[in-house]
Formats: sequence, structure tokens, C-alpha cells
Amino acid sequence: MFSGGKSFVSSPPAFSNDAKRLLVCTGNTVSIFSTSTGLQTSELEGHGAQVTSVIVVPALTPASKVLCYCWTASLDGKINYWDFAAPEMMRTIDIRFPIHSMVIPSLLSQTTESNQKLPDLFAYVYTEDVKKKDQEPNSLCGQIRKCNLTKSRLVGGVTLAETQRPGSITISPSGKYIGMYEKCKLRVWEIPAKDSENVGYKKIRLHHTKSFTALAFHPTENVVAAGDVTGRILVWRGVGNGTFVYDGKLINGGLNKNAEDRPGVRDEDDADSCTTWHWHSAQVNILFFSSDGAYLYSGGREGVLVVWQLDTGNKKFLPRIGSPLLYFINSPDPSLCSISCADNQIQLLRMPSMEILRSILGIKLPTSNMEMYEGFGSNIVFNHTAGSIAVPTENYRVQFYSLFDDREISEVQICERNHQPGDEITVKVNLVALSPDGSTMSTVETRLSEEGIGSLVSLKFWACDSQSKQFSLSTVIYEPHREAGISSIAFRPTRHMAVSCSYGGDFKVWVHRHEIPLKDQTHQNTGWTCHAVGSYKKKPMIAAAFSSDGSVLAVAAENVITLWDPDRNTLLTVIGDSLEPITTLSFVGKSEYLVSASRGTNPQLTLWSMSKLCTTWSYRLDAEGGYAEKYDSLTDCYFDMLLSIACSMDDSTFAVLALFRLSRPTVSAEATSQGADGVILLFNPETPVPLSTWFVSKAQGGGLSFVKSSPQLEDEVARTKAANEVLAYVNGAHEYVLLNPNGEQATGLSISRQQNFSSLEKTDKFGYASIYGELAELSMKKYETPFPSVVASERSWKTIFSGPSHSLPPLPKLCSEFLESLLERRSAIVE
Amino acid sequence: MAESFPVKPKLRPTSSKTTPTPESKYWRSFKIPKDIETTPSKSFVYPINSISFSPAAPYDFAATHSVNVTIFSGKTLERKSRISTFYDTAASASFRCDGKLLAAGDLTGTVHVFDPKADVKPKGKTPGHLRRLKGHSAAVRLVCYPRAADKFHLFSGGDDSVVKYWDVTTEKCVFNLLGHKDYVRCGDASPVSDEMFVSGSYDHRVKLWDVRVSNAGSVMELNHEKPVESVIYLPSGGLIATSGGNFVKIWDVIGGGKLLYSMESHNKTVTSLCMGKITHTMRFPEPLLSVGFSPDCSTRVIGTSKGNLYIGRRKMKMESEDLSDRVGWRGVAEDEPQRKVLRPSYFRYFHRGQNLKPSEGDFLIKRPKKVKLAEHDKLLKKFRHKEAFVASLSKKNPENVVAVMEELVARKKLLKCVSNLDTEELGLLLGFLQKYSTMPRYAGLLMKLANKVVELRAEDIRSSDQLRNHIRNLKRDVEEEIRVQQSLLEIQGIISPMLRIAAKR
Repeated sequence: MFSGGKSFVSSPPAFSNDAKRLLVCTGNTVSIFSTSTGLQTSELEGHGAQVTSVIVVPALTPASKVLCYCWTASLDGKINYWDFAAPEMMRTIDIRFPIHSMVIPSLLSQTTESNQKLPDLFAYVYTEDVKKKDQEPNSLCGQIRKCNLTKSRLVGGVTLAETQRPGSITISPSGKYIGMYEKCKLRVWEIPAKDSENVGYKKIRLHHTKSFTALAFHPTENVVAAGDVTGRILVWRGVGNGTFVYDGKLINGGLNKNAEDRPGVRDEDDADSCTTWHWHSAQVNILFFSSDGAYLYSGGREGVLVVWQLDTGNKKFLPRIGSPLLYFINSPDPSLCSISCADNQIQLLRMPSMEILRSILGIKLPTSNMEMYEGFGSNIVFNHTAGSIAVPTENYRVQFYSLFDDREISEVQICERNHQPGDEITVKVNLVALSPDGSTMSTVETRLSEEGIGSLVSLKFWACDSQSKQFSLSTVIYEPHREAGISSIAFRPTRHMAVSCSYGGDFKVWVHRHEIPLKDQTHQNTGWTCHAVGSYKKKPMIAAAFSSDGSVLAVAAENVITLWDPDRNTLLTVIGDSLEPITTLSFVGKSEYLVSASRGTNPQLTLWSMSKLCTTWSYRLDAEGGYAEKYDSLTDCYFDMLLSIACSMDDSTFAVLALFRLSRPTVSAEATSQGADGVILLFNPETPVPLSTWFVSKAQGGGLSFVKSSPQLEDEVARTKAANEVLAYVNGAHEYVLLNPNGEQATGLSISRQQNFSSLEKTDKFGYASIYGELAELSMKKYETPFPSVVASERSWKTIFSGPSHSLPPLPKLCSEFLESLLERRSAIVE
Repeated sequence: MAESFPVKPKLRPTSSKTTPTPESKYWRSFKIPKDIETTPSKSFVYPINSISFSPAAPYDFAATHSVNVTIFSGKTLERKSRISTFYDTAASASFRCDGKLLAAGDLTGTVHVFDPKADVKPKGKTPGHLRRLKGHSAAVRLVCYPRAADKFHLFSGGDDSVVKYWDVTTEKCVFNLLGHKDYVRCGDASPVSDEMFVSGSYDHRVKLWDVRVSNAGSVMELNHEKPVESVIYLPSGGLIATSGGNFVKIWDVIGGGKLLYSMESHNKTVTSLCMGKITHTMRFPEPLLSVGFSPDCSTRVIGTSKGNLYIGRRKMKMESEDLSDRVGWRGVAEDEPQRKVLRPSYFRYFHRGQNLKPSEGDFLIKRPKKVKLAEHDKLLKKFRHKEAFVASLSKKNPENVVAVMEELVARKKLLKCVSNLDTEELGLLLGFLQKYSTMPRYAGLLMKLANKVVELRAEDIRSSDQLRNHIRNLKRDVEEEIRVQQSLLEIQGIISPMLRIAAKR
């Protein structure tokens, strides 16, 4: 099974010790990206569920910087130890509780003094007690536990905290404290320097009136910063001076202080003072102290990174990142940081200047604001030939993503607007369609009206430049169907023709007017013009499809299917009468069959024979009245919705994505155990028994299509005697999987991932060369020649030392150059 | 990362007109000269059958119409003389290669040879009338002198489907060329050889003749597949173009009569051919029968079936360079003292090299184009919505105002802006609404907005006389628009049953 499109931003990433690699939790695996190229270099595979935290073992000595070990924790209850340079798994610890967050304080506070025997390594894990949760939904199922990593077991009896839902643990950079937030409380524990299985913990609590959303510890001082849902940042100073005692003496006599001396601190909290900063307008997601402790980074939903000078409260901004910020991680290299954004990209920043070096891009995630368009199962569009998908994103763009390379190809700005995360949506790109050869794209954008004024639907046609593969705008059509919205667009396979259907009860056929561009004519007068308009009894037209040879246009008019001659725009015939409006139409490859699907309370899947113009077979995908129960494979599956139909271009097979009716208790145990809520059924039109079935999760909002397999996959597929098409399924979270339609049931395509990982490093100049550039090669021949030039001295040693003294390389480096230059002068004199 | 997008008005539909190509510019440059503006109106009553240019310098041209051949001056485009000695309609005129003789056929079957220079004399005998070649038994539709150097022969073709080769001096037919099976209507002499010519006939055939092998019949036969209306040699002598039906075909004669192109861009029968490229289309109000170009390509003459003659002439380029001027300038340039060495104390020091032109091999990096922001764009960027709205209103460009309104709708701030306007600005808005809300391009937005404005600001409008005035005007305009719509609906009601009936047929 070839899968990809994983979320890069489900958990915070981690830098390797040399800051050349970035370890990103991507679903069940950890992907390792090169920070210099932004491309994936390797992958750690081994977890059975989502990886929630990754911790790189820090280098204690400069020599150990090359060591690449990391701990990962996952929801499958396992903690793994990896050598990620290899990459291979070294150890596995199974604690049998889903881990939502893990910190290992002793890694950070480990002393360099070399004991013969290293002390046991302890991790603090935030687990979820699933059994308890099932029994009593409101019980405290989130627990912070201690785990002895050296002995591979949980430390019994140590439960630091119990909460209703597991969250994340924050650790101070020195490893002395760990903390977590729960609603309006902060809890901070001091980790003893010599950690062992049974030690006592000192803890304090800090209170606030709003729910906390972020927490950070100062690297050196007792300062804690926390952000809340309203965008305030609270900074407590002198936290725990009363409780945590260092080396037997109090740093500050904070214990005796009364309330007046502690401005901003709530009554019983153990802190000296609390200041509040309010710049963010929405909740704070990021809080991070710089490594020297002078600055505090914060960020949130606005997509602006703010740098606060801790002493003065002065601010600096990195604005217009474009989507909510989730995590901020700094690297061992002080000039490199990363920000994870909610639209599934990780930005690498060059630090003091805060400029974006490069981005690691995933498929843009669906956002809650982009509600599904009425009557449409999926807004992901597949490019059959190129094996890519087009995803409309929140910022009025369409992202093209290659399924085979698992990499973004390009982005197209559909409407010229800027998107500010958190803004109310007033303009949306609600439909994207690609022509079968991928050369033309059409998009529909809608501007919502303000109290009934100024709503606008515009249809745009884009042409793909054959060289650069970039789409450029060809035609804009305002209000193509008066005020009515467009329900679907279909392209004719054989020539430049498209049809758009509207809820207003008509469809329009558009043709590409093509004029040969003259030599010196810069403006090319080509575009799409309306060729014909059709309607059937003023019924809303929901779906349209062209037959594979382009001779028949099928348009679904509510409950019936109308068949048209697209050239002459004449109604050929009307077939069918379903109970619910038909939402999806598709011709099955080159065969004579047409599939229609309707949803609603009586979802139905019907196959029509074009030669006989009658139903061949149909599923009433409903428990009571259905044919479904006749067949063994389907007896325990009931579907609520048909989401999408994909038809193979070459084969006469088609696949259907259906949702389970979730309330049904009869859904198969197998499916529920996998967390699946949808099923993909592969049919041959000849027979109503599905050829194969796959259970999938997060099917809501998913899409399905046959995709021509890429040349890299060709031989693999050929071995499995299949045609050159694979079935691509993208789920609601925009993760995708490629399935082999001809394989056995539930066994996917076994494609060994094309390891087109790029090499890790760019060749970088360092040392002397990084400051002065390459030194000119002093050729030794000069001294060997019998008659050297009569130039007295080149005095190259003079130039070696020019430049500010602080930026000079260390003396040992310069020494050899210096000596060489002396030698040279000498030789000149001698001759 | 975000960039700034200025507010853009909606695009207008592009017209189907293409920008002028060099060819169409060329053809459009034929203008009716101002001094003889009356030329087209100087109409002949009868259709102009043929136009022929003299190959010699002033390029006089002759047009045949009715029983006359009129000769026009190539210089002034005025009528020089008229020959009206024909007994029946004259058909085809042709100048001799030196332009000193003119031959024309008529429908009786006679070919007349004239001296075009001779003065017109009163009726009866025309002194210029030199020869009469009798022999055709039906109307002569084709008369043509060889184009190269031969001054003594000409050939003619007639409705008796015979092509005759004449010796002009002796008024004798040298031989008959037989082969056509229908009327011979057109023909042309080869521009490179005196012995070669073509003739086209209504039997769809184009025949190529060589007088040196006359007894063997035609040298080559081409099938045009439609009655041939016109045939010409292209200047190289190796290609011929034939027209008939609504298409033009180009043949390669040297290459054995291969069909090179077939062009179909006319809607009706092509009646005449002349040298030139089919790159430009002109429209004329009447059916065109003949077309001609002067050999120096400066004059174009088009004859129509109603007898109008359209004469167009290209303006000649003026010798514009004034030599003495140039010399004077150069003298000044030489006098200029040597350039001073630039020092940092000079202002020009900081501009040095800025006017440097890139040399050929240089790779040019263009400076990113600066986005020009209008005032309302700048204000919108600062989220000063009302100011932006007023700024666009005061600029009085309706497209921009509507674009700003649409942007405000997208920000959900339009109504807020409207409610914040003060009296003066409201007057501005009402004036705008009155002017443009009935324009179909903006009506969809502005009508609804006008409604909302009146609703929101009723109090203010009542309290100000000026605003009440605006509202009165607006009301009047809307009522007018409603009346127009009403009458349009009535018309639609009348037409739609007719259309339905028409569609049923």
C-alpha cells in the first residue's frame, strides 16, 4: 500500500544535533527532512499508530554531535529508540497505553561527569486510559506517568496528575521542571537532579481566569510564560521561589511576601510577579523562550510570529505567514528555527533576521471554515494522467500535489485576494475541475453577499502552459448561470468543450475558441465561449458527465438523467427515475454503462446500460429495502452516503466510496476495530458483486479516482499483472493511499517506495573559506621553476590579516597560510 | 506569503476584433485621395466587368462597362477618355506590354484594338480605333496581350469556347486553340514568356497553352471543379491562381499542375482575381465584379455590379529627412568639449552607467514591476474603508467605484461605510447611484445598494434639500428604466411565440 500526504503538523518536530535534519512526525512514521534542501531524506517506520512525540538525544560533548539517536512515542503505546542516521530501530518499550506526549528530563540535565554506570533514564508520559474512558466517559483518563526507559517499564504507583483529557507536557530547557496546563490551571513539577524510581516531587500551581493554551519555561531563570485563549500572554517571574529550594538556600525570600508585593499574582500562587501582555487577538499557540532567555517568541491564529524582548516588552513581528501557527522549535544551530503552520507546512527560519529560508510542504489540510459544497462529496480533484491531485486551499489557491512523488508541484492563485487566518469567509473557491488530459482547469468562486448585496459567482478557465506546467488564466465568466450556483463541471474527453450545470435549472456548454496567434500579436485572442444552453423542465442540474468518446453528454436533472448530443445540443432521451436527487454521474470507461448515485435518506447506486437505456442493476444501499443483503460480502455493511464514484479509463471497472451508517450496531467488527468509517467497493459492471473491498477511515470528505500509474511504478504494477492504473483514495484529512484495483481484497499495492530521497547536505563552505571565500591555490610549481618571475614580493601575508579581528579565523588555520606566504617571499629573494 | 492585490474592475468582454496585422494595415492604407472624393459617386450605371492597368509608368487603367471603355489617369485618378465605339457590351480590356495599345472584346464577338492616348472625338469614327479582329462567333469575354515583350499578338476567348491567337497587325487569326467545352471566360498571359498563357472556362477546366506547340492542343489541363471565373499567373510565372465557386486554388504549373492550396474565405462566388495576398478582408456595400492593382502597388481599383468604382491609393512616403539639418547637428556634437572625468562631488557621478544599454549577449534581469496603487487601494490596505470608498467616488470612474464596492462587500464593510458617510459624501454616492444604477453592467449591485442606502439613511435624506433632490432624480431615472423594461417585455412577448414556431420547423 502506497500512502502519503501525511500531516506534518500533528506533533512538534525536532532538530537533529547538527541541525541538518528535521524529524517530523508524519502519521505512523517519522520523516526526516534535510534542512538545507527541504526534501525528505529518510523515514523511520515501525509504529503502529500515530507518532505523537519525537525527542532527539542531545549531544553532551561536541564530539557526540554526529550521534543520531532519538526516542519516539506513539498512540500504539510504544516507545521506540532509534538510530535515525541508519535508520534502524534499536529498542522498543511497550507500555500499553496510548501516549499523547512524552518528555525525558534526564536527557537534558545529564551531567557530563562520567560515572561508570549511567543512571536510569526516566520519561514522563501523558497517557490515556482507554478502558477507563470506555467505562465512564467523564472519568479522569488522562494520566501523567513515569516510565523507566532503561528497564523498559512503567514506574508503578507514580501518577503525577490525572486529567479528563490527555494534553501535552512541557519541559524546561534545563530539564529541571515539567509542566502542563489544564483549563485555567498550570501545574509545574520539579524533577530532582538524581531521578530514581521513588522520589518525591515538589509541585506548584498557577491560576488564571481563562483557559491556557500554551506554556513555556525560561532556560535559566524561574520564569514561566503561558498563553490563553483570549490571546493574553502571562509571564510569571520568580515562580516557585517558595517551594523549590536550591542547594538549601532560598534565592529570594518570597515566602513571606504579602499580596501587595506580588503584582498580578493570584492569591495562593507561588510567584513573585505576573505581567500580562496582550497583542494577539486570538488564542496563543506558540510560546518559546530564546536560548539565552532574552526573548520570548509567541504566535497564534493570526499567523504572525511575535518576538518579545523579555525585559522591556518591545515587540518585533514576522507577519503574513498566512495560516495559524502551531509549533515553534529552535535548533542547536542558533541561526535556524522552524515553525509548523496549520496548513501543513513547516517553515524554516533564519533566526535573527526572521526570514523564511524554505518550506516543507504537505497537502493543504481541509479547514473547518471550508464547508463542503452542497451536493458534493469531495472537493479534491484528480488528474488522471499526471497522477496528481488539485486541492482548493483556504487562501484562494489551488495546490497541485503529486501522488507518486508525495510532493507539492505547484500552486495557483485563483482569486486575487489575501487570506488572513481567522477572518470570516466571504469569498470561496468552491469548485475545481480538470480536463482529462490535465491541460485545462476550471474553477468556480463565489463571493457571498453582504445582506443580499453583491453576491457573485464567477467561472474561470485556466490553460496549462505546456512547458512550464503553470496554469494561467484564460477566461473569466461572471455569473455564468445568473445568480444560481454551479453544481458541477465536466470536460469532454476528446476536444475542448466543457459543460457547467447549475442549481438554477440549466446547463451551459462552453467551447474553446481557438485562433491561431499571429507572429507579432502579443495578445492571443483565445478563450472559452458559450456554445449552447440547455434545460430540462427547469429542474436543478446536479451532475454532468461525458461519455469516453465524447459523443454523449449525460446531465442529471434532479431525479432523472437526461442524455444530450453535445454538438447539436439536442435532447436525445431521458432515463431513470430515482427517489432522491442524483448527485453523481459517471460513464464506466469505454463500456456502455453509466453509473449514477444519489444520496439522502434513500441512497442508491444504479448502473444504466446505454444500449438498452435501462437499469442493469442497482443497489438500494439501505438495510430494509436493499438488494445488498443478498450478497455475503455486504450483509453486514450499510451505507449512509455515497461519496464518490471513480471510473477506470481503460478497464471497465468502477469503484465506489461509501460511508457507513454510524448509528448501526451491525457494522462489522473488523471495520470498527480499524477505526474505519467508509468502504471502497470495486465493481465490474457485468455483475453486482463487488470485485474487492477496502475499509478506510476518515471517509467523510474523501475522494476516489483511478490514476494512471507513473513510470516508476510501472514495473511494480506489471509484476502484479495489473493494468497501468491504480486507485487513489484521499481521505477527509487529505492523506492518500494508492490501491491496486486488481489485487486481492484488502491487500493494497505493494509498491516499494521509490527512494528518491535527496542527499542530506549541500556542500557548505566553512571556516576560513566561509568568511573570505576560497583562497587562491598557491601553486607549488612556482618554487620549482628555475627562473621565477622577478616580482619581489607578493606580500600575500599582508592580506591574510586584513579584516576585523573578531571575524578572523583561529590562528591555527591562518598559520599555514602565513608560513606559506613567508616561504614564497624568501624564495623570490634567493633566486 | 502574502502580496498586495490592487482592486480591479471586472473585466469587459473582449471584442472579437483582432489587432491589425501588418497585412491588414497595408490594405487599409489604400485611401480614396481627398482631391477626388467624388470618385465613387461618379458612378456608371452598368456593371464594371473588368479593370485593366497599363503596365507602363503612369499606370493608367481602363474599366469596361456597358458599351464603353473608360480610361483613367493613373496619376490623378481622373477620367481621361472614354471609348464608346462598341456595338454591344464591352467585356475585357487589356493593355499591351508597353501600354501604348489597348484591346477589348465585346459581346458581338469582335476584338477592338485602340490607341488609348488618342483624343476622344465626337461620335462616329474614333481616330484611336486601329484594328478590329473578327472571328469569334459568340461574345468575347477574354482579351489578353502577352505580358513580356511580344507586341504583335494577342489572344482572345469567347463564349464559342474557342481561344484564338491573333496577329494584330494583319487582323488575322493565327490559329484557333480548341479544347474547351464551355464558355471561355478568363485567361492570363504568362509574365515571363510570350508564348504561354492560360484560359479558364465554365467547363471547370483551366487550360495552359503554348503557341509554339499549338497543334497539339493544350499543354496542361487543370480541373478547378467549379466554373472558372478568373485565372491569373502569379509573378513568378510558375504558379497560377484560379477562382470559381467560393474558393481560390493555387496550382504549381512547373511542377506538373500540382494543387498547392485551396482557400475558402469568400461567401459567394469569386469573380475576379488580382495579385496580392489573401490576408485582409474588406467589406463593400455592393457585389464586386472586378478588382485591379497598379503594377507599382500604389493604386487599387474595385468595380462593382452597380457600376461604382472604388479607387484607393496609398500615400507615398515623404522624403522626410532633412540633410542639412543633420549635418548641422553633427557639427554641434563635434564641437562639444571632451567629457570631464566624473568625481564624487558631481551629481552625475551617482548616475553614471544608468543609461548604459545592454549589449547583445547580456542576460537581462528585469526589475520586479512595481504594483501601482490608486488612492483607494492605499486606503483599503490600511483598512480605512470609508475613506477609500469616498476616494473612489470622487474619482468618478464608475468601474473603479463598483470594484471598490465589491471589495467592501467581500470584507463585509459596505453597509457600514454607507451608514458612516456624512451628508456631502452621501450626496456624492446618491449622484453616482442616480447616474449608474440603471446601467445594465452595474445594475445588479447598484440597484440593491440604492435600496439599502435609502433604507439606512432615510432620516438624513429627509433633513437635507440637496439629498432630496438627488433622490428625486434617482426616482425619475428608475421610473424611466421601469418603463423601458416594460416595453422590452412587451416586445419579448410578441417575439417569443414566433421564435417557438420557428424552432419547431
